[in-house]
Amino acid sequence: MNKGVLLFANNNGTLNYVKQAYFLAKRIKKYLNLPTSIVTNINIHDKFPDYVDVFDNIIHDSVSYNETNKRYHDGDLHDVTAKFYNSNRVNAYNLSPYDETIVMDTDYIICNDILKNCFLQQKDFLIYKDAIHIGTHTGTPEFLRVSDTSVDFYWATIFFFRKTAETKIFFDLLQHIEKNYMHYRSMYQFRTTVFRNDFAFSIAIHIMNGYQTGDFAGLLPGKKFYAIDKDVLVDIIDDEIKILVQKTNRFGEYTAVKTKGTNLHIMNKFSLERIIDNE
Amino acid sequence: MNNFTMLAQNSDFDYIRQACLAAMSIKATNKNSDICLITNDPVPTKYKPLFDHIVEIPWGDHATNEQWKVSNRWKIYHAIPYNETVVIDTDMLILDDLSAWFKFLKNYDLFYTSNVYTYRGECVNKNSFYRKHFFKNNLPSLYSGFHWFKKSDHAHEFNNWLEIITNNWQQFYKQIDNQLKHLPGPSMDLTAAIASVIMDNESLITNSKVKYPSFIHMKPKVQNWKENFQYRWQDRVGVYIDDNLKMKIGNYQQNGIFHYTEKDFVSLEIMKKYEKVLGL
Repeated sequence: MNKGVLLFANNNGTLNYVKQAYFLAKRIKKYLNLPTSIVTNINIHDKFPDYVDVFDNIIHDSVSYNETNKRYHDGDLHDVTAKFYNSNRVNAYNLSPYDETIVMDTDYIICNDILKNCFLQQKDFLIYKDAIHIGTHTGTPEFLRVSDTSVDFYWATIFFFRKTAETKIFFDLLQHIEKNYMHYRSMYQFRTTVFRNDFAFSIAIHIMNGYQTGDFAGLLPGKKFYAIDKDVLVDIIDDEIKILVQKTNRFGEYTAVKTKGTNLHIMNKFSLERIIDNE
Repeated sequence: MNNFTMLAQNSDFDYIRQACLAAMSIKATNKNSDICLITNDPVPTKYKPLFDHIVEIPWGDHATNEQWKVSNRWKIYHAIPYNETVVIDTDMLILDDLSAWFKFLKNYDLFYTSNVYTYRGECVNKNSFYRKHFFKNNLPSLYSGFHWFKKSDHAHEFNNWLEIITNNWQQFYKQIDNQLKHLPGPSMDLTAAIASVIMDNESLITNSKVKYPSFIHMKPKVQNWKENFQYRWQDRVGVYIDDNLKMKIGNYQQNGIFHYTEKDFVSLEIMKKYEKVLGL
């Protein structure tokens, strides 16, 4: 079975997701020794002359993107509202050139090889259910359940799937949920009208489990750590990440945190791009 | 035969109607079942065939002035026509074939469930809003809403204690916690817990390591909702029963035994669905 990583990168005029993907693909090669394919809406040949060395495949997705506006923070003191193209992830099954695929957000920083263990698991679909903030944002209700009365929350930031008849059904279901998102919003009692992959994945997992707690989805190896967009990335040197973590209830104040050998989801994409630019 | 027993006494609410719905749910899912209803109230003719035995409450009504009619519950042991039975509250729906549970229960003289679950399948916290007295006083967390007994010396002695504690509940309860004597009446869960402490038999009558037998408990404050909710649970999550009597609460398929707790849950629509499937 061939295996690899699939990244979705759709630039929105404000953030350069392709640049993030390019940065991440090199780290994937270094730490996981896996090929990376990119699904994108732009022509990257001119911008990255060595793209052939970095990307295994460049896939131009022809689906109509679910375009929404999203507020992006850059630390406590700055934010920008920009377009957010986030729907084509539900097509990962059809788009992936691999039999076994890890899909990642482009702002997930790989610092170790723990995800290689995905390919040894018996489960055909793996995802993180719980995540740990590297600072003090613990027990955030919005990351526990889709809504107070509804189903468990899963992080679509990163997931693994093996192409099987069952996972095909799962991805078909995801597409159905995306097309009928307002219906599912009503059924699963959440307020936001913006399409969220996390919600779609959480609902689809719940349905695959027969509308109850079940074991369709296995857990990805390791823990998922994250920093929110009000935290500010300061530096990445090899497997070491330095980040300023926003202090709770202290506007504009931060605590310096350093991680080593830990994969980290950096939600502050502006600070991530600054680090990439300085490389 | 798998025997089910209920005790129902009407007050200002029609508990017989609840018992009829519970009986329909048993007959719809447990083909090899035998049902006994202990009551002094009339059962509508239409629903009488659901019950294999309708038995009078022995020795008169000891719960005349009680809203919840708890003071007659110890008589179940003496009233049943069986050597062994599961006893359930009337405000329960049986959603599945429980034959496997009966096989398990036959290992015990007495069995009380000590783990109950939310509609999402989470185990209810032992220190939940409704169980603070149990936790504070280190009482075994027994739920009499679903229990089992086999006529035996052990079960007989336990039942004798239930009788004594029920008839003298304020004296017993204040020994545990002085505040408990101010309860409006005896609680069967508390009474069973005290009887278990007296007999030191917790390990013989419950098993907290097994997930089943158990039930889904719909008291609103145990549902792990972040929003502090004190009204009807139906105001927060919907009830969906299909023509095959499969039930969802909110987004969750329900299994096993469903303890709905709210009196207005028994709607004409639900009764009709069961009647249609059973051909009543």
